[in-house]
Amino acid sequence: MSVLMFWFFALLAVVGAAMVAFLGRLINSAFALVMALIGVAGLYWTLGADFIGTTQILLYVGGVTVLILYAVMLTPKESTRVPWIRFVPAGVLTLAVGILLLTAFGGVATALNTLHSGGLEQPLEPTAAAIGEAFLDREGYLIPFELASVLLLVVVVGAVFIARRKREV
Amino acid sequence: MEFSLSPDNISAYLIVSGLLFLFGVLTILTRRNAIYILLGVELILNAANLNFVAFSRFGGFGIDGQIFAVFIIILAASEAAVALAIILQIFNNYGTVDLTETNLMKK
Repeated sequence: MSVLMFWFFALLAVVGAAMVAFLGRLINSAFALVMALIGVAGLYWTLGADFIGTTQILLYVGGVTVLILYAVMLTPKESTRVPWIRFVPAGVLTLAVGILLLTAFGGVATALNTLHSGGLEQPLEPTAAAIGEAFLDREGYLIPFELASVLLLVVVVGAVFIARRKREV
Repeated sequence: MEFSLSPDNISAYLIVSGLLFLFGVLTILTRRNAIYILLGVELILNAANLNFVAFSRFGGFGIDGQIFAVFIIILAASEAAVALAIILQIFNNYGTVDLTETNLMKK
């Protein structure tokens, strides 16, 4: 069952990401990004990170996507079709990065698998309580948590300030 | 180097996140529309996040990886808000969001 779920969500994520990269129209790519984000949220759930998966749905699929769709609506309909010749140098560069990633990830995966050679069978437990305690623990992540709150306030004010009309550059 | 594609092994998750990262890089490299580049950045951030959560489960490091993932999601949301405000302002000033046309600093 969990194998089936992993493959379903992994396919959703990878196919969505490929559609973002290759589709010709911006609105289609934006909705393909939604598909990829939902796939990643499902992968979090298969990893036992229920809180992160839910946050991903709320913040990414709910918030960031709506922001992006607003930007799509407020900007003109331009041709975003990519001439295929531009894929050649970009594809070569991406392939090179991919080979680097494959070697790095291969090494890390081998090291981890020899570290836990018996197979790591952690039970899947709800994580929200543990994350909340770590956020409000002075030995843990209290200060980064408060700093994130301040950052969000600054971002709200700053985004409104920047997006205001009637400003000469 | 050994890869196994079963989900009780970390390499399956690493491969998925690597693919997400590569598609994000490809999006950023091929597109000239600013919103498309933002989509690519979101893909890359998600790939990094997936790695954090996967290592949190398979690396035996406890819950710290998931907390980092929460902070990355917060930062990504902030970044998207500010970037889209900037994109709107670029459109107001240039009438386009094509990044090859925005050359005020070159003049």
